Amino acid sequence: MKSLAIVVRQDGYDNLLTPLAFGYLQGAEGTQVDLLFVNWAVKALTEEGAKGQVIQGEHADQDAWVRKQVEKAGLPSDIYGLIQALKSTGNVNFYACSLAATIFGVNEDNLIPEASGIVGASWFLNEKAAIAEHCQYF
Amino acid sequence: MSDIKANSKLDTSGKCCPMPIVETNVAMKKISSGEILQITATDPGTLTDIPSWCERSGHTLMNSMESDGVIQFYVKKG
Repeated sequence: MKSLAIVVRQDGYDNLLTPLAFGYLQGAEGTQVDLLFVNWAVKALTEEGAKGQVIQGEHADQDAWVRKQVEKAGLPSDIYGLIQALKSTGNVNFYACSLAATIFGVNEDNLIPEASGIVGASWFLNEKAAIAEHCQYF
Repeated sequence: MSDIKANSKLDTSGKCCPMPIVETNVAMKKISSGEILQITATDPGTLTDIPSWCERSGHTLMNSMESDGVIQFYVKKG
């Protein structure tokens, strides 16, 4: 696969694990990976938001256990560490959706340095998602 | 036991997807074309992931074997 576009809309530690793991896999393999964070998930592109991701809802009481399992699997156990690991492949770009950024309080000042910027959804959909070999929504 | 002589070894025991593939990609970049990487894994997902990765990446899976949940892959860099 040459390129992969991923739209991440669900926040929460466990919800973010799969898109990040898929991005890590493909980025490590040399695939160009572009992730757009929309809705609440955009907060994961701030340091505070990334580090503050927890498991919500019915599995909330298993947060510590899941983190231990993730660490055992060899992955960084916090979302910010995972984002940094993906970035270190040199093939992964993180984008914040401008609408989501406006609504949920993400701006150029609190955006993590690993993110490539705040972009319009139209740009991402046309320039990344539409031409990517594969596109996923989480 | 395999009689294939590896130039480099990678042990991913205990780690799960995506780490075996991530670490295998890194390890392969460190060896030269024609050299062999021995990968040890315990993630059953590698039984499908490593062979298909070899095919996509132009490397040759020379041998693989499983014993007591431990899988050994010998991959020749293309």
